Amino acid sequence: MDFLTNGHNAYLESFFYTLMLFLVSGVLSLVLGTILVACRVGPVAVLRVAGGWYVTIVRSTPLVVVFALFQFAAPMLGIRFGWVQIHIGTVDFTSFFAVAVVALTLYTSTFVCEALRSGINSVPLGQAEAARAIGLTFGGTMSQVILPQAFRASVPPLASVLIALIKNTSVAYIFGVGEAVAQMRIMTNNYASERVPIFLTFAAGYIVIVFVVSFFANHLEKHWRTA
Amino acid sequence: MTAISSQAPTAAQGEPLVVLDHVEKWYGDLHVLQDINLSIKRGEVVVVIGPSGSGKSTLCRTINRLETIGSGTITLDGQALPQEGKALAGLRAEVGMVFQSFNLFAHKTILENVMLGPVKVRKSSKADAEKRATELLDRVGLAKHAPKYPSQLSGGQQQRVAIARALAMEPKVMLFDEPTSALDPEMIKEVLDVMVDLAKQGMTMVVVTHEMGFARTAADRVVFMADGQIVEEGTPEEFFTHAKSERARDFLGHILKH
Amino acid sequence: MHLMKTKAVLAACGLALSMAACGNAGGGGTGKDLAGKDVSCGDFTGRVAEICKAGKVTIGVKFDQPGLGFKSATADEPAGFDVEVAKILAADLGIDSKDVKWVETISDNREPFLEAGKVDLVLASYSITPERRKVVGQAGPYMVTGQQLLVPADSTVKDISDLKGKEVCSVTGSTSIDKINEKGAKGVGFESYSECVQKVLDGTVEAMSTDGTILAGFAAQNEGQLKVVGDPFSEERIGVGYSKKAPEMCTFITDSLKKAFDDGTWAKAFEDTLGPSGVKTPDAPMLDACQS
Ligand SMILES: Nc1ncnc2c1ncn2[C@@H]1O[C@H](COP(=O)(O)OP(=O)(O)OP(=O)(O)O)[C@@H](O)[C@H]1O
Ligand SMILES: [Mg+2]
Repeated sequence: MDFLTNGHNAYLESFFYTLMLFLVSGVLSLVLGTILVACRVGPVAVLRVAGGWYVTIVRSTPLVVVFALFQFAAPMLGIRFGWVQIHIGTVDFTSFFAVAVVALTLYTSTFVCEALRSGINSVPLGQAEAARAIGLTFGGTMSQVILPQAFRASVPPLASVLIALIKNTSVAYIFGVGEAVAQMRIMTNNYASERVPIFLTFAAGYIVIVFVVSFFANHLEKHWRTA
Repeated sequence: MTAISSQAPTAAQGEPLVVLDHVEKWYGDLHVLQDINLSIKRGEVVVVIGPSGSGKSTLCRTINRLETIGSGTITLDGQALPQEGKALAGLRAEVGMVFQSFNLFAHKTILENVMLGPVKVRKSSKADAEKRATELLDRVGLAKHAPKYPSQLSGGQQQRVAIARALAMEPKVMLFDEPTSALDPEMIKEVLDVMVDLAKQGMTMVVVTHEMGFARTAADRVVFMADGQIVEEGTPEEFFTHAKSERARDFLGHILKH
Repeated sequence: MHLMKTKAVLAACGLALSMAACGNAGGGGTGKDLAGKDVSCGDFTGRVAEICKAGKVTIGVKFDQPGLGFKSATADEPAGFDVEVAKILAADLGIDSKDVKWVETISDNREPFLEAGKVDLVLASYSITPERRKVVGQAGPYMVTGQQLLVPADSTVKDISDLKGKEVCSVTGSTSIDKINEKGAKGVGFESYSECVQKVLDGTVEAMSTDGTILAGFAAQNEGQLKVVGDPFSEERIGVGYSKKAPEMCTFITDSLKKAFDDGTWAKAFEDTLGPSGVKTPDAPMLDACQS
């Protein structure tokens, strides 16, 4: 298979981009999603409403549109990411990577928020009452009692959200990031006779990443079930 | 003993600790608390009984402001209950609460359940909190279950942990809302024993319960509620043998049959 | 000289595109019908004879490249140089251009469509490469073009060598991206050329690169803001794709193209689509020989 003998470096490099997109936007989505859910279930009415609207609007916008907004509309408003200049060997993290991370994070955080909210709703009301009864404030009640349990209950839906994120990183392929699917397109164009093996090889790359994430999720779930 | 009147406390029975004055509460059209006047003295044990839906739980929960009230005042140790935020959280730390359904923190061990309040609210050191928690668990007979999780304990054991958790805050008063009614009969005693002990040591307690045995052994006063009102109150002896009101006699007739 | 020829084609295409973009000339509208010639299908063999007898042919072209293969939302048929050449081939099979079934092919589905028999021929700015010839047949070339740079009008960039380590936009997965990387710049891929144009205009990238024919059109659309610079740093030989199962196609296509080169129909097609600017039509390229 010529595409592998000539292109294994390109293959690995492209999956490195995919992986970095996943890791960076994954972590940021978890953080932003947690903040969003705190707004949505919190005692401040304005934040509750704002959080609700944000989730509704962003969640119902196609990801490719979110990308396009940041890639094409944002520069007109002076929102640019030219300051992002990180170079590791031949791998570059520039404005294209930054836009991809922003789009993926804003989009995925809404799903994280809803996954967590389902987790929070599954925590019995009595847990919050008991927490308040020992004198914990709203913040303490959330951070010590509700969120830890909500995270546990949210592991399966959160795993689904993160697995969807892994595959959603591929939207970046038409927005200037040389991630796996972009590399796959180059290869299918250059090695027309090896199209099917190329598809399978790239699918395998995704399967490996998804497998690792699922493994961790299952592990966490089991660990917490006994706890 | 003579009837303890909330209007005329004597020095021997201590000064008032919790005072409810003309408290009213509505749930929509439902008048759940109607002109409640109740004064609980330091060290006093008050048992609240009454038919289902009479407002006992609501009364209990207003005392640590898990429920807000429509009008009237509630004071704890001379201070009005704060409205919101940190001050309210501070007040709740002074009032221990034990729920019918235990409500132990499911993701924390027994020891951690008891330590959480002291560490996060009282800002005790971990070491001090652990020492104290271990003592309390020992007192309710559960020291060896410290590393377990709530789901690994029986209902009676969980309720005793819940009592230890409330005590860890060194509250001025303890509220119990039907602490034994979710328990199998053989577990009720172990919980009541802990509560009787607590009463003997002078803890101020408000207990919603239908356990007549507990009321007779430990209570200084029984308050009978019906339809959101305090219908009658008196010593357990007086109340159980010569209830004054028709409603109370009716109610007693019902529960004593079982 | 070969290089000269390439340049001539590029210049012609560029000007033609600019005209097309401004005035909706030949490249933008729908081309004329071309009647099928009076041929005897018995002269052909195999698949070529079958198509001839059936009187119907399915041809894959691009629908999104002005001047080459473009179908506007309102048009019934695609138009452009690729399309005109396709009509010439159809005519030599005795098929009227109105009996041609046009199918949109994009870069990724040209080989699969040929292999599956969904199209008989592909004329979709289809570069001839040895790698592609492993899977499908490619006859021609009927045009030779090359990759250049499109930069802001005030840019000092003169050549791809000025862009070492810089980001240069092109279409994701295209050979252009590969070439950009090969030349030491960093190819960043978008879905279409017009998106790259936008990225050049908003300053995110300093340049975009692809076939000079395409760039010239965009330079004309954004006159005063963008310009095409540099010598072509690749050579694209545009050919006709056919299925390997029908090798007899090659001889037919090559003969037909040769005739068109000789009798002036090829030049006429060029003039009608890429040539309304009046720039001299280039010499016809050298045709590859068919492997027996
Ligand atoms: N959150 C609420 N919203 C509306 N009505 C409520 C709410 N909580 C309680 N009530 C109503 O208020 C009344 C008093 O309820 P409460 O729980 O205080 O009664 P209770 O005396 O504790 O009864 P039980 O013996 O069944 O526990 C009931 O009629 C109940 O249905
Ligand atoms: Mg109740």
